[in-house]
Amino acid sequence: MVEGKLRSRTFRRIKVKTPGARVTVHYRRRKPNFAECGNCGVRLKAVPRALPFELKNMPKSAKRPERPFGGVLCSACMRAEIVARVRND
Amino acid sequence: MIDVGRLCVKIAGRDAGKKCVVIEVLDNKFVLIDGETRRRKCNIIHLEPLDETISVEKGVSHIAVVDAFKKLGIELVEQKSKKKTVRPRTLRRSKLAEKPAELKATLVPKPSTKDVTSVVANVEKSPVAKKPRKKSVEKAVEEKK
Repeated sequence: MVEGKLRSRTFRRIKVKTPGARVTVHYRRRKPNFAECGNCGVRLKAVPRALPFELKNMPKSAKRPERPFGGVLCSACMRAEIVARVRND
Repeated sequence: MIDVGRLCVKIAGRDAGKKCVVIEVLDNKFVLIDGETRRRKCNIIHLEPLDETISVEKGVSHIAVVDAFKKLGIELVEQKSKKKTVRPRTLRRSKLAEKPAELKATLVPKPSTKDVTSVVANVEKSPVAKKPRKKSVEKAVEEKK
């Protein structure tokens, strides 16, 4: 029997084939959800679905698009936002 | 609407939200822009025209655009490319002798690995006890003699 904390569904279970040809179960943290646009809720592209320790070692440019509101708004909402700001001024 | 001298805001890509001026109309789809953005070709779909225009000629230089933007009250910050930092390089002593004097200041001789005599001198020499030979081996040696 595994540790008590691993018996919940907090962790995902992976079947791993050991060198002795035995299949064991390993427990890993679940991946976070997809990043979504803060305005329309569409899934953001180019934003990795990775755990914090994986993101830590990634360069900044690999974590979100290199544009204003990158990683927060989708490109269409970003354009609409900028156009709205320009027209209001 | 979009013609030479028209002030625009770029709404796509990494230059989005930055002001630029149309320098040249390339065809019915593309224009050449310069200003807060990089000087580049741009699709007119990616531009939001403003109601201001600047009096610039077709295909003006970047310096002229900087001056025109200064009149509008927009200071363009030139992005300098990073200078390479000089880090001390290690060189062999033999090669270091051939280099001119001014280069020597930046170069550091490689710490030699051969200079171990001082370390060896400090080690005390102690006689190593010989292993007593086996009787059979001793016999064989004597017979040979």
